[in-house]
Amino acid sequence: MTTMLRQMTTRGTPYLFLLPGLVILGALLSVPLYKVVEYSLYDNVIVERNPTFVGLANYTNLMTDPGYWSAGFNTVVFTVGSVLGHMIVGIGLALLVNADIAPRARTFFRSMLILPWIFTAVVVALNWQLLLNPFGLINYMLQWMGLTSEPLDWLGDPDLAMWSLLLISTWRGYPFIMVSFLSGLQTVPRELYEAAEIDGAGFWHKFWHVTLPQLKPVIFGVALLDLIWTFQLFPLVWLSTGGGPGRATEVLSTLTFRLAFVDFQFSQAATVAVSILIISAAFTLLYLRNEARRL
Amino acid sequence: MSRIEIRNLVKMYGAHQALHGIDISIQPGEFCVLVGPSGCGKSTTLRMVAGLETISGGEIAIGERVVNGLRPKERGIAMVFQNYALYPAKTVYNNMAFSLQLSRMPKPEIDRRVREVADILELTPLLERKPGALSGGQRQRVAMGRAIVRDPEVFLFDEPLSNLDAKLRGQMRAEIKRLHQRLQNTIIYVTHDQVEAMTLADRIVIMRDGKIEQQGTPDAIFHDPDTVFVAGFMGSPPMNLVDCMVTPTGLKLGDSEIACATPDGLRAGARVICGIRPDDIRPAADQPGRATATVPVDLIEQLGTEKLVHFRAGQHSMIGKTGGRVDLAEGAPHPLAFDMAHAYFFDPDTERRIR
Repeated sequence: MTTMLRQMTTRGTPYLFLLPGLVILGALLSVPLYKVVEYSLYDNVIVERNPTFVGLANYTNLMTDPGYWSAGFNTVVFTVGSVLGHMIVGIGLALLVNADIAPRARTFFRSMLILPWIFTAVVVALNWQLLLNPFGLINYMLQWMGLTSEPLDWLGDPDLAMWSLLLISTWRGYPFIMVSFLSGLQTVPRELYEAAEIDGAGFWHKFWHVTLPQLKPVIFGVALLDLIWTFQLFPLVWLSTGGGPGRATEVLSTLTFRLAFVDFQFSQAATVAVSILIISAAFTLLYLRNEARRL
Repeated sequence: MSRIEIRNLVKMYGAHQALHGIDISIQPGEFCVLVGPSGCGKSTTLRMVAGLETISGGEIAIGERVVNGLRPKERGIAMVFQNYALYPAKTVYNNMAFSLQLSRMPKPEIDRRVREVADILELTPLLERKPGALSGGQRQRVAMGRAIVRDPEVFLFDEPLSNLDAKLRGQMRAEIKRLHQRLQNTIIYVTHDQVEAMTLADRIVIMRDGKIEQQGTPDAIFHDPDTVFVAGFMGSPPMNLVDCMVTPTGLKLGDSEIACATPDGLRAGARVICGIRPDDIRPAADQPGRATATVPVDLIEQLGTEKLVHFRAGQHSMIGKTGGRVDLAEGAPHPLAFDMAHAYFFDPDTERRIR
């Protein structure tokens, strides 16, 4: 009896230490998660005292709502565009700051190029709004160089807004990718480049045959992680364009926010949120499987 | 097959001078081994021939061309690296074919060459594997195969066997020697292992502190060393090098006197470094009629076919040899015979040979 008790206490000790963490995690994660799913099955939640259970009606409404589909399409464009932008700019800059130049200059460029990462989304969005303003610096430069005669409304023109948003998102997101690739690049043995040089490889051949294969696991993991983050990114989009002009840059996260806190349709908002949750979870599973395979 | 001329080669790293005017002339088809302790500049010299390091001064010519300004791929060289440097994502086949693919050789020709070399090196069953699935020895052979398929004018080897265990190293050493007999290419081979240098080389270049200490055939290096450093570097166990005093009849070694002929220039009372290989010091019974001295034997190392006899002469520890079956007591004085006909004498100040 006593041995059983002792066994239980020794086995239980680690869980006791985990308890505070588990409680916090449960309160802040599981409860809201459960609530959101629950809301999506009712009508008139929060605003009515006794909401009515409607089953999957919210979901069928959503499936027939063109606004939802257009937001979904925008989300895909925004996510894929951002991740591609991060990847290309990140790898390019990582290669540059990994170059064999004076160590001081290298440190300087490395720290400068990480800067976009340390600003909060509000600061980033406001600064880019100022830069991209019809009377802002970028339009001034373009006109001065003679590239455009009229100032362009980068964030206000429906044809340009998504491109501008992608520019901002790329600027904001590349440092993480760059740092990841930089650490990846530093693990590539120097001898491989030397062997490739003797084999007759130029810059692109070395990049294609030595660098990329060595970075492949990093690229896959980081791209997936970036995909998960960007897919549900809210503050940068909301603060830069607010989903506008019209619905030109409306993504699922801004749609959720608009439905909930502008239109007070909490049930619909919860339904959109659940749809984001499902897709994000799928990506996350993919990511975890990839990480497990690497170990 | 090309000759290689290295003339007054200098390498500077900032203010530090790593190579002080190296001159080596390698004949077509010659197997030249650069050997020396770490940091002596042997790898730097090799990498400068390869084009992986810039040349601070002097000239390197491969064949009739000065290659100073040429990129590695334009020099007609192939190199085998210490850590093999195989492309991990490529199969053995593609590792070997890569340089040919880059040179836009027709596919059937690439295939013919790769398979031929794979056949020579017994890599045919491994062609579809990736380097990660190979043993150390197999990787080593792939690295050599990658060099051979290019049919280069010159092979460069940078300590290619140092990552293998002793047994495999012996096998690969013989394989490289056989390959050289077959292909007859000019080879520069860097190692810190004096056994590799002795067994493989047509010409050994011994380097120290960025300078050439001596170069010549393995025989000349081993049996006719110019300096104390060369005498001590080649041979295992190393040559005994002891400070002696010249006497009218021979040498005074610690407390013992050994009768022997000394070079003409040495007068009685002069200090000299005497070098004598362990093979030339044996128990008096083994080689009668030689100069003997009775010395305290403090340790016997049994190597099987022979025993190493550690003894003290004055404050010097010295090593002699005897047959593996000879019974010799440790910790007792024993008469040892010194074959002074094969002793070497060096100036203690310049460390150069007195002939």
